[in-house]
Amino acid sequence: MRVKIIRLIVAGFFILIAGDLFYGQAIQGRFYYQQSLNNRVRVISLNGRRGRILDRNGIVLAENRTAFQLTLTPQAMGDTDAVFDFLSGILRVPADKLLTRYRSLKTADFAPVLMASDITRAAAMAVEENKFRFPELMVEEGFRRVYPFAESCGHVVGYVGKANPARLDQMKDYGYTAESFVGYLGAEEFYDAQLRGVDGGVQVEVNSRGRQVALLGRKDPESGNDITLTVNSRLQQSAMQALGENRGAAIVMDRRTGEILALASAPSFDPNAFSAAAGAPAIQEYFQDRDAPLLNRAVNGVFPPGSVFKVVAATAALDLGKISPTMNFNCPGFLDLGGTRFGCAHVHGTQNLTEAIVHSCNVYFFHLGLILKPENLYRYGRGFGLGQLTRVDLPYEKPGRLPRPRDRLLNGRRWYPGDTLNTVIGQGDVLATPLQLTRLMATVANEGIIVQPHILAKIGDKAVAQFHLARRLKVHSDTWPLLKTALRRTVADVSGTAHAVDIPGVEISGKTGTAQSGGGAHHAWFVGYSQGTKTEIVITVFLEHGGSSQNACVAARQILLTAQQEGIL
Amino acid sequence: MGRSKERILGMSVSLIIVFGLIALFSASYQNIRVAQNIFYDQLFFAGLGIGLLLFLRRFDYRRFTDAAYIFYGVNVALLLAVLLIGRHALGARRWFEVAGVSFQPSELMKLSLIFLLARYWSGLRERFAYGARNPVQAFWRDLLFPFFLTAVPMFFVFKQPDLGTSLLMFGIFFIMAYAAGVQKRHLSGFLGFCLAMIPVAWKFLKSYQKDRLLVFLNPNIDPLGAGYTIIQSKIAIGSGQIFGKGWLSGTQNQLNFLPERHTDFIFSVIGEEWGLLGTWGLATLYFILIWNLFRLAEQTDAPLPRLLITGIASIWALQVIINIGMVMGLFPIVGITLPLVSYGRTSFLMYLMTIGIVLNICRKQTY
Repeated sequence: MRVKIIRLIVAGFFILIAGDLFYGQAIQGRFYYQQSLNNRVRVISLNGRRGRILDRNGIVLAENRTAFQLTLTPQAMGDTDAVFDFLSGILRVPADKLLTRYRSLKTADFAPVLMASDITRAAAMAVEENKFRFPELMVEEGFRRVYPFAESCGHVVGYVGKANPARLDQMKDYGYTAESFVGYLGAEEFYDAQLRGVDGGVQVEVNSRGRQVALLGRKDPESGNDITLTVNSRLQQSAMQALGENRGAAIVMDRRTGEILALASAPSFDPNAFSAAAGAPAIQEYFQDRDAPLLNRAVNGVFPPGSVFKVVAATAALDLGKISPTMNFNCPGFLDLGGTRFGCAHVHGTQNLTEAIVHSCNVYFFHLGLILKPENLYRYGRGFGLGQLTRVDLPYEKPGRLPRPRDRLLNGRRWYPGDTLNTVIGQGDVLATPLQLTRLMATVANEGIIVQPHILAKIGDKAVAQFHLARRLKVHSDTWPLLKTALRRTVADVSGTAHAVDIPGVEISGKTGTAQSGGGAHHAWFVGYSQGTKTEIVITVFLEHGGSSQNACVAARQILLTAQQEGIL
Repeated sequence: MGRSKERILGMSVSLIIVFGLIALFSASYQNIRVAQNIFYDQLFFAGLGIGLLLFLRRFDYRRFTDAAYIFYGVNVALLLAVLLIGRHALGARRWFEVAGVSFQPSELMKLSLIFLLARYWSGLRERFAYGARNPVQAFWRDLLFPFFLTAVPMFFVFKQPDLGTSLLMFGIFFIMAYAAGVQKRHLSGFLGFCLAMIPVAWKFLKSYQKDRLLVFLNPNIDPLGAGYTIIQSKIAIGSGQIFGKGWLSGTQNQLNFLPERHTDFIFSVIGEEWGLLGTWGLATLYFILIWNLFRLAEQTDAPLPRLLITGIASIWALQVIINIGMVMGLFPIVGITLPLVSYGRTSFLMYLMTIGIVLNICRKQTY
């Protein structure tokens, strides 16, 4: 009787088991089947090689170097001591340090631990040769982006890094994943789509150690395009050097075509730092530095243009016929208006337009401003492209600002005549990027033709024409020669404010600017152009709180001398 | 009774062996972690075991029961010895090397224990007919003393450590005590006491044993550690669906996602490659075998063979139910193997011996 009870209980258990097997296999079977697929099928992405970035002469600004990554799979670990002795030998790092690294990075038994991200070819070979002794070690081939010019091309070229969440959000429809490398800043960011290869991948069947046991499918990666920039790397280096310890920007542009030959912003950063291990201390410093080395001051920084803006006022006055070139104003060193005294750098005495430009006389331009009315300053400023994007092919360009009485009134504030005086000498609400002033000067030099500044010359081996509106600033034909004479004399005359830039054998014209900015030394500007040289260029040097505009002139001279040596001028 | 039952037992055992060898061949097919030679090893021991079975079929089982105390003593001594000088493997001392062949005394202990308990309780019945002068004495004689005899090897096995086998011995003891006719109030009092002792016993468990028990309650506690095995096992069995992925084609098995797939988790291999048809098929074979063993016990009148067969049937039932339940996630993972299917030399021989003994009992009754 009792045995029968036992027998029935046992039978009950068998029914339970049969039921559970039915539930697990017949009812939930599909779910578990999918899970078993997830277990064994892995997609390993093959990164398409990123295109190189070259300067106008084919000199490499950014390229890829093969890098070997060394990983260790904890699950497969045999003799720990032997492995770490071996690693210590090939990596030339003490075994206990490696062990510490291993312990801190280890997550799960089956997840490979990255022991070194860029090992030498010899070390990689050594690991491969000892594959059978140490199955836990694996070498994977990857790319590492290198920038031979380091800091001096930082802002033009940019850097690459893992896609951050914000970028990923924008780009995920284009096949980017959290593991993709994307360009940041400069050409790397602006031309990311061209540079970036199309990632391929292989679908492999893996075993529990993550080792590949079969190949299920393969899609070959495609390399990205090389791109050629208009930049001349020698001139770029020189521009960077000329800025020295200052904060600021320097731009050299071919004024006929808009090709940017050099575009420097100081302080700069070393893009190589970003290709090294993520979270390297150098990167943190870049982000925290109060001098903002990641800010490209040439296009992303806006500053009061100071006396450079007088070019706009002069153009407006001449074109509108408000003044004649021979008309004089007296400069006693100041102008009183509405109970405020507006100062000039010197007591200039009687000045005609040319003299006022050469000496950068504020009082003359105060009078001009009052004659012109602020609305005209705005109109001609817009005509020169101020307050608007230049649409240069660099990311995060700022439009700057050009004040206008009407906008003021919309904001419920009045426009006082004093505002006109501030505006006419490029102070107050006027803000411009160094690149905008570069184009402004190019427009003067080109007698009204507005070029499109750009850094891209070729994609792959195809030259790329720049789309631009072929805009022309139409003014009275006498205006340009008069203005250009004055700008030439600014450099050529001994009394000219930019005489420091005068280089024998080269015809340089230009305008200096000194702009007050809340606290600290003045901003220093020199914006000029060459005439009749092999390549006709515009050069802009801007020194943030650089003191006297003379400092900007000295830096510009240095860059021009290099340009001369390089046969550009 | 008689010839037909013998044939059923023989057929089901043969089919289980064949089933097991096919599964083991697949489990060791890739030769990763599980070496291929274990299949041939098992094949050899299957031959040896069947020889042993045929021999025991003609060998009078009463010689075993006569010598039950000697077997028991020697076996306990072996267990003690294995603790002191046994071979270390997988963090435990369970094996002995005898002339180059390893052997596991705890497997044999299950059989020795069944002999001993069958002999003890059947002897009691003959001499005292269960009539005790006072309840305390009866409790001691009927239950506590045999429990003490069981507890000694249980303790040694527990120290190896092998919690599963240790608990299994307790299960055998309890079922046999019930079958032997020990009074229900004694049994229930004793069981209540044992349940009350669980919190105390918890303290003596190794931390990995605690982990396994906790993971049983929730496998997701530690999916990469202790929970890994059970999750992979459930995936393997479930992914076989109704018809299975086919022999040698189970990805969980062939790609080494299943740990211990040649021993404790061999059933998962069958589930993955043969599907519901395979698992139900094998479970049915076991069920037929066990059902008939119990039926046989019921039809046997003599107390000694009756208890002996009950003990043997219960060890089969416990092993099969716990093992399948364990790989399905119904029970905690306690390291109980699947008879005649899991790889294991000593246990393979032991299970064939039990069948040999049962067949011998049948013969005795037929003629």
